[in-house]
Amino acid sequence: MSGELTKAIADLEENEALRLIREKLDGGENPQSLLEESRKGMEIVGQRFSEGTYFLPELIFSAEILKEITEIVKPRLTQEVQAERLGKCVIGTVAGDIHDIGKDIVVFMLDVNGFEVHDLGVDVPPQKFVEKITETSAPIVGLSGFLTLAFDSMKETVDAIKAAGLRDKVKIMIGGGQIDEDIRKYAGADAFGQDAMAAVSLAKGWL
Amino acid sequence: MPGGCIGEEKDVTVVRDIHLNLDKRQILRREGIRQQSSVRPEIMALIDELLVNIDDEHLLEPAWAYEISPISRLDQDQLSLAEDVVLHGPVLTSALSDAEELAVVVGTIGPRLEKQVTDYLGGREPLRGLLLDGIGSAAVDSLAQEACKLIQDEASLRGYQASSPFGPGTTGFPITEQWQLFKLVPAAEIGVRLAASGLMVPRKSVSMVIGLGEQVTARERGEACARCNLSKTCLYRWEANNQHIQA
Ligand code: B12
Repeated sequence: MSGELTKAIADLEENEALRLIREKLDGGENPQSLLEESRKGMEIVGQRFSEGTYFLPELIFSAEILKEITEIVKPRLTQEVQAERLGKCVIGTVAGDIHDIGKDIVVFMLDVNGFEVHDLGVDVPPQKFVEKITETSAPIVGLSGFLTLAFDSMKETVDAIKAAGLRDKVKIMIGGGQIDEDIRKYAGADAFGQDAMAAVSLAKGWL
Repeated sequence: MPGGCIGEEKDVTVVRDIHLNLDKRQILRREGIRQQSSVRPEIMALIDELLVNIDDEHLLEPAWAYEISPISRLDQDQLSLAEDVVLHGPVLTSALSDAEELAVVVGTIGPRLEKQVTDYLGGREPLRGLLLDGIGSAAVDSLAQEACKLIQDEASLRGYQASSPFGPGTTGFPITEQWQLFKLVPAAEIGVRLAASGLMVPRKSVSMVIGLGEQVTARERGEACARCNLSKTCLYRWEANNQHIQA
């Protein structure tokens, strides 16, 4: 029955989801559409997260299930589909700030959701962002920061991207515990995201 | 005092072997879970497993160092202590105007837990990483609570009240003041140092000052959250009676 895989993932039934995927693959079902079905499950998880029925751990849990499924399905996909990514994204925690957990979670979520993510780590100087954007031609940039002093680093990073003539080639999102609309304006970014789910929605919206 | 040793000349104390109270609800708060009933059993089971692992692998090495100094002067925007240490921060000068002494505390759970978190995240186990990180934060909270209690108890023996704790970097107390605090407290003895940003390494550390005096307004739990600029939006805020987590 179609939809049961979606439901298993949406309900975070890990074992059931893995059982179903193996069974369906062995039954000759199209791996590509199974992956689609799984992603739909993850979208429902995203909705539940936004509504407040699921919290961050559940979101990550579902992403881990999707990751496992992708690994099972991958060998059965054609080379082209295997290599297919939604889009490129450069991300890092800005200069002066060393928080990494939140950023790592965002990286993981973007990756699971099909993005090619270039993670620059923490305490990343503006020029490093510019170099990576130039090298990869990534159209999406994510800046993470938690400290008050990171707001200036974010602004400096956006300014450096502008000075390199790349500003109209990229969309820039920022995030971290303290970020809000005022800081987005101050930094000159295109959007801010409250959590890892928001990072995925923003990035998808820019494709 | 458990494992306490008083420094020879200065009135500096280093405390180890601290018993941390890892309350489930406080852990869930630090995991960003605001409704206990909806937590998946798998996630609860994983938290339990990580707690056992923390014990088995000795991932928590709680310690704190503190010093109590007389306040020599309180001006409009600064508070002066012994040894030319001057602290700036509007929150201090307004909340501690009645304080006679200031306790300065630096505490940590050590580097082992966060190393394990990094390994989990790097090893593509983000859920474990995230959950263990949250447990680590709850452990730091408990450490800070225990330090506050100890200082409060000590103060009450002298007929003093102890104020709520104030940490550099929180609203009204600039992070740059960390350097002043670290002049007073031998944080290196418990393995804590400052990075250029004023943040502490290991990451799971905390620093705070507590005002002591006969007329000081006594500490109230959760006050730090209420005072914070993120008090309305923070996913991790503390609310009275654990209302933040609906059973
Ligand atoms: C937990 C916590 C702690 C813990 C753990 C710290 C740690 N680094 O491990 C403890 C209790 C130890 C602690 C200590 C301190 N803390 Co603290 N802490 C927090 C808190 C509550 C949550 C941070 C966190 O770990 N979140 C968990 C992760 C998973 O979530 P996240 O990082 O927010 O990431 C999510 C989103 O932000 C988003 N996101 C992240 N990046 C990006 C990027 C993009 C592009 C997008 C779209 C989204 C996005 O997605 C992520 C996943 O959903 C924040 C307040 C807050 N609400 O953010 C303060 C906060 C960071 N701490 C603060 C302070 C001041 C301190 C101390 C200095 C206090 C003190 N004097 O002791 C110390 C410093 C410790 C040190 N090493 O120096 C301040 C910093 C303010 C400033 N001046 O810059 C904050 C902001 C609180 C506040 N307003 O006062 N802290």
